[in-house]
Amino acid sequence: MKSHKLKEGASAIKDILRHSAGMGLLLVIVAALTLELTGLVQYYFSKKGIREEASRRAECQLEATRLQIVDIVDQAESAVRNSVWIARWCLENTDSLHAVARRIVEDNPVVVGSTVALVEGYDKKHPLLAPYACREDGNVIIKSLATEEYNYPAQEWFTRPIELDEGYWSEPYVDIGGGDILMTTYSMPVHDAAGRIAAVLTADISLDWLREVVGGAQIYPNAFGVVLSREGQLMVSPAESLNMRSSINDFSSQAEDRRAFDSLSRSMLSGRSGNMPFKAAGKKSQVYFAPVEKTGWSMSIVIPEDEIYSGIKNVGLLVTILQLIGVGLLILILYAVAKSQMKYREISDKKERMESELQIGRGIQMSMIPNIFPPFPERRDIDMSACLVPAKEVGGDLYDFYIRDEKLYFCIGDVSGKGVPASLVMAVTRSLFRTVSAHEKSPQRIVTAMNDSMSDMNESSMFVTFFCGILDLSTGHLRYCNAGHNPPFIFTDKIAKLDVVPNLPLGIASGMSFQEQETDLSYDDSLFLYTDGLTEAENLSHEQFGEARLEAILHVRRSAQGQMDAVREAVEVFVDGAPQSDDLTMLFIHYLNDKRPDSSERHLILHNDIQQIPQLADFVETIAQEKTLDQGLVMGLNLALEEAVTNVILYAYPKGSDGLVDVEAILGKNRIDFIISDSGTPFDPTAAAEPDLNAPVQDRPIGGLGIHLVKTIMDSVSYQRSDGKNILTMIKKI
Amino acid sequence: MEIKTSKENSVLTARLIGRLDTPASQEIAPQMNALAEEADGTIVLDCTELNYISSSGLRLFLTLRKAAGAKGGKIIVKGISNDIRTVFMMTGFLNLFQIEE
Repeated sequence: MKSHKLKEGASAIKDILRHSAGMGLLLVIVAALTLELTGLVQYYFSKKGIREEASRRAECQLEATRLQIVDIVDQAESAVRNSVWIARWCLENTDSLHAVARRIVEDNPVVVGSTVALVEGYDKKHPLLAPYACREDGNVIIKSLATEEYNYPAQEWFTRPIELDEGYWSEPYVDIGGGDILMTTYSMPVHDAAGRIAAVLTADISLDWLREVVGGAQIYPNAFGVVLSREGQLMVSPAESLNMRSSINDFSSQAEDRRAFDSLSRSMLSGRSGNMPFKAAGKKSQVYFAPVEKTGWSMSIVIPEDEIYSGIKNVGLLVTILQLIGVGLLILILYAVAKSQMKYREISDKKERMESELQIGRGIQMSMIPNIFPPFPERRDIDMSACLVPAKEVGGDLYDFYIRDEKLYFCIGDVSGKGVPASLVMAVTRSLFRTVSAHEKSPQRIVTAMNDSMSDMNESSMFVTFFCGILDLSTGHLRYCNAGHNPPFIFTDKIAKLDVVPNLPLGIASGMSFQEQETDLSYDDSLFLYTDGLTEAENLSHEQFGEARLEAILHVRRSAQGQMDAVREAVEVFVDGAPQSDDLTMLFIHYLNDKRPDSSERHLILHNDIQQIPQLADFVETIAQEKTLDQGLVMGLNLALEEAVTNVILYAYPKGSDGLVDVEAILGKNRIDFIISDSGTPFDPTAAAEPDLNAPVQDRPIGGLGIHLVKTIMDSVSYQRSDGKNILTMIKKI
Repeated sequence: MEIKTSKENSVLTARLIGRLDTPASQEIAPQMNALAEEADGTIVLDCTELNYISSSGLRLFLTLRKAAGAKGGKIIVKGISNDIRTVFMMTGFLNLFQIEE
């Protein structure tokens, strides 16, 4: 049984664990997902921000570079434009044209070379003339471009402006004479006075600075700049060997994504600005590009994506690590919670077990005391009731009673303290009472013996207030001994406290002497014993129930059980839900011995024949003569008796069968008791509903008046089914 | 137990003489029921010589009273003793009948 229970407990714990583990796992997953989602959202927006930042930086850089280029280009352009008029003027004397070129070079540091090249045949004297001013070792010298091998009239810088009849920037080129210098030339046609194009005025600028300017645009470690010419020629790029030798279109066939590459190069060459993703050497990059006006170049900055996002990569790693730590912590916390829950479960399991044991204990305790009421249904000389309401599952109050040799042995007690310790002492006390009283006839000796016994073994110093009495049921003689208990109430013709010597409670010291007392109970006297849990029952505002309230309730005459119920109900109403602080115990003894020396009996036995009813009148008459009753009372008694007996005659026995009605009258000093008994079918006439005496005539039922009259006339009417007999007892005080 | 009826000026008077206990009630029930036939008028129940009544007797009174109530008649109870008046009081009959000395 025990091991089975343990197994049950263990499997319950496992269930809880499994359950909470499942819950935990779910929690971890949800938390991890939430963290991951947050991370992703944060990552997305960070990436977006960073991309925007990179794009802004690239655009700034492009703009700055563009401004620098435009500045230089403007200088060259204006140098040429401003000198056109001088060149025109010098056309009169073509030998002075070299001075114009020289002046341009001297005045403009950005210009490395300049020429005024005459249209072939313009000057009869010099069919070809192109004096070229350039720097050499810090001085400006004049060379002639009108050589056969150079053949300037075929050069692009010469032909294009004439064709266009406006200023023209040449495609960049590498100067043959001046080392590996990247150059470009701005050329403008010069018109003579007649408006014909007579010459082309140029200014060369070196583009070496462009590499620096673009190379300086390294906003990321591995970012690089690329400048394309109008025709798609690679002017500046990290691959020096390809510069000025390759066109962007040469790479189209090698591109990993040709369509993207072509789209990019088209965009750039058509002078648009913007940005595009681009894959080069397996690396994803972003290309930011913008045109340089006038020259028709396109400038771009290429930034590898992993560099753009290198910051966020680290942040992403950090966030992931933090998330992992978070999830780890969560698992730890869950583990701890599960563990504590398990502990709690164990404790509450233990508590449950204890509670169920306490419930069993309560059952045992309750079965130790008499708990069937009425306890002596066969006896008419005693009516008793008792109740014990522990404040906790088990309590330290006790009562007990039994009848031996026509004597009622009874006791009530209150163990100091409450709960389990008190209940154990209670059990001991009750057993001692039974054991000791079995061979003692004096309450004083019972109490003394119990006290000695309890004091000897009382190591926990718990004591018991105790009241023990022995009532001789045949004489009403009561002997009692009190041991520190509160005095019981005694009901004679009034309510009073029984005179008791306090004495000490049981269990204080052995060898104590207790004083015995005695009194006599008369017929209809009662004793009410209780523990202080009754009078000290508190309501929510800490008022006590008190003796006054108790007396007021007990004052009304009721059966023993009725008194118990009335008091319990009153206490319940009074405390109004306040928790019970002390055990509550009551014992009510109603002494009803009708074999008093001053009483006499009359007997009448009737058959179940209605014609025998008039005999009742004679029966009552003889009683009336003996007790000298007045005429009104005689008629009342006769009426009550007739109604009760008629009831039996008409209804107790099946129609046509023979049966007897036993009418017994007990004539006391102050009262007359009628006891009507029959062996018919069980029937409790007192249970009938009261008729409504105020109902209008048409609603008045014909029946039901008889038992109403009986109840109205008599002082007490009670029904009892006993030994197969209906017993109706009616009492009238005289 | 005896019932004596007489009629004077359309008032029917029934004198109840003796003890109206349970067997007596059974005995006079037919006569009382006959009275109920005439319950559309005034019926005087003269109880001057009635010295006892039980619930079965009261039942006869109530049956008659109900008949009168249904037919629009009137029942007058006359000359009841103090003891019987007490019984009438206990059963609420004082409210149902017109009581005359």
